Amino acid sequence: MGLAFQTDLGLDARLRHRAAIEIRGLRKRYGAQEVLRGVTLTVERGEKIVLCGPSGSGKSTLIRCINGLERHDGGTIAVNGVDLDADGRGVQDVRREVGMVFQHFNLFPHMTILENCTFAPRHALGLSPAKAAERAMHHLARVRIADQAGKYPAQLSGGQQQRVAIARALCMDPKIMLFDEPTSALDPEMVSEVLQVMEELAAQGMTMLCVTHEMGFARHVADRCVFLDHGEIVEQADAERFFAAPESERLRAFLNQMLR
Amino acid sequence: MSFDFALAWDSMPALLNGAWMTVLITASVMAVGAVLGFGMCLVRMSRNRVLAAVGAAYVAVFRGAPSIVLLYLVYAGLPQLSIVRDTPLWVLFASPLFCAILGLGLNHSAYVVEILRGALSAVPPGPVEAALALGLSPRLVFLKVRLPIAVRYGLKAYQNEVLIFLKSTVAVGAVTIADLTGAANEIFSMTYDPFTPLVTAGAMYWAMTNSLRLAFEALDRRLNRHLAAGVPDSRPATARRADPGSALFRRLRRSPAKPAE
Amino acid sequence: MGLLAYGADGYGDELLAGAWVTVQLAVFAYALAAVLGTLMAILTLKPRGVRWAVGRVYASVATGVPSLLVIFLLYYGGTEIVHALLVPFGVDERPSISPFWAAVAALAFVYTPYLADLLRGAIHNVPKGQLEAAEALSVPRRQIWLGVLLPQALRIAYPGFVNIWVVLLKDTALVSLAGLTDLIAAAKVASGSTREPFLFYGVVVVFFVLFAAATIRLANRHARRLDRGVRPSEA
Repeated sequence: MGLAFQTDLGLDARLRHRAAIEIRGLRKRYGAQEVLRGVTLTVERGEKIVLCGPSGSGKSTLIRCINGLERHDGGTIAVNGVDLDADGRGVQDVRREVGMVFQHFNLFPHMTILENCTFAPRHALGLSPAKAAERAMHHLARVRIADQAGKYPAQLSGGQQQRVAIARALCMDPKIMLFDEPTSALDPEMVSEVLQVMEELAAQGMTMLCVTHEMGFARHVADRCVFLDHGEIVEQADAERFFAAPESERLRAFLNQMLR
Repeated sequence: MSFDFALAWDSMPALLNGAWMTVLITASVMAVGAVLGFGMCLVRMSRNRVLAAVGAAYVAVFRGAPSIVLLYLVYAGLPQLSIVRDTPLWVLFASPLFCAILGLGLNHSAYVVEILRGALSAVPPGPVEAALALGLSPRLVFLKVRLPIAVRYGLKAYQNEVLIFLKSTVAVGAVTIADLTGAANEIFSMTYDPFTPLVTAGAMYWAMTNSLRLAFEALDRRLNRHLAAGVPDSRPATARRADPGSALFRRLRRSPAKPAE
Repeated sequence: MGLLAYGADGYGDELLAGAWVTVQLAVFAYALAAVLGTLMAILTLKPRGVRWAVGRVYASVATGVPSLLVIFLLYYGGTEIVHALLVPFGVDERPSISPFWAAVAALAFVYTPYLADLLRGAIHNVPKGQLEAAEALSVPRRQIWLGVLLPQALRIAYPGFVNIWVVLLKDTALVSLAGLTDLIAAAKVASGSTREPFLFYGVVVVFFVLFAAATIRLANRHARRLDRGVRPSEA
């Protein structure tokens, strides 16, 4: 596989689209079960998209495919013009551009907060420890948790841990942030502190793709809401129309369930 | 039935010599076990079916066999192979000490394989995925995230195994090495005092096992200082529970860890 | 393979006799340790007081010292120890102690605290409501223990008990160093005079691996029976 070939394709894609993420006909199956059946979705730079859908609809799988945590079986994914093919080439390049925040935070339990944030910049980007620490403290301050830098994850509340996880992702200077149900493992009183950080991030122009059921956040922040069911995009619209005038029966049923 | 303090004092040099041999063998076997165990664990966990089967067989044989049998096999068996007898390897296998360390090391490493494998598979996928998502290479993720977490999980089980095998080093008497038990036996055969040398040696073993236990517990506290007081211990039960014997005494030392500043 | 034959030409009969010694030794020692361990667990149930302290010192000694050392101690000094124990009762006898029973006693001495601790932990894990319910029904104390608490505790402690069995079984291999003609000693004689160490020690390895596997299997089947009606899915 010539390097030139890939670069050319990347350049070409960059010229054709200025999309941050471009997904075409994405398919993914676990054994006999088809989780994604031909999903096509384009995320423009700076765009904020909220993905929702019933559990098992494939929304987590979709965003986990974007940074190669799951291999897709068919279709194409391009992130900032870099192709992520099904056998995993390009995955390291993509991962450095894309930050991810998980439902269960997934902080490294044996490292302090600061070490959690400096680990990847030092080892994946080759920053010096001092430089990495400086960057980490900047982002920890951004999520208002710099004073806890010396603690271990287990000593923080869930909301604090999730904010650290966001800072950890930001330390890699990602162009795109993926959020996989970032507030669903939190106690209710901690949800807002995380959402606030996410809203600030959105206001600063970050490209964001969020799987979430926080309708308030969707209304406030999302440029577009996408409804996924049974591995297909059933409906997408701007937040206003999405909630006020859903077209499909399935989305109406889903929203009814959510609001109850 | 009496303890002869004068005899105990006179036997000290001989017993300490034996104790030194026991310590030397224990330390060497730990080193051999760590290296062999880590290597064979990778083989055992290989995706290649043949390699994995080889690893499983290694564990089944070397863990299932009593260590004294492995000692005899290495000491009496291997020199019969021409690859050992007709090459410079012969020099190694002519040494009882080498054979003892290898035999016990094979046994110990099989336990290390299973402890490490259990610990590695108990590591939750979350932190590993998070590290991958940050663009770190799989090798680095293994060495810096999965393995360190696994070591913390497996430490208690490893401690149990080391304490058990320290006591099983008495088997080296079978290949003519004079360890602590051998030294005590020797003194018995000269004095016919059944208690003094054996009880003194027993006290020395007790001191060794307990120092080692304390060292492991200090290491455990150090490695697990991230488990703050009042935070539920999320490690699997096997990581928290030591063997029943030492668990008795661990209860005493369970003071709450101080939260880091 | 003729070397493994039964009779004067082969070592089959010697090996079989050795294996029988090994099996008997392990079974007797384990049974004794289980009985003593149960008693010790009940006596040291509360983590304070004299009984607890004595139990702790005993456990510390027994788990901190190699079993071979205890075997030697009881083998060489057993007669004296028994004599000293009998004198207060006005019996002035010095019974000779066979290596076999010295080994049984020594292994039981070493493994009793392990089993006791497993069982004590398990008793503490039996839901408190069980004791209260039995007391509320005015079940006699002995029956509360035998009928309610111990059976449930045993179920909880079972996997640990099986582990200790395997450890003890392999520990019996050391008795050949104290002069007992167990399986290991038989294999040593056979391999020494035939110069076939791989064959005979191989047989020993196979015996230990298979015997342990067979007993574990048996134990698991029994464990499933114990679990019947409690957690049907749990093996």
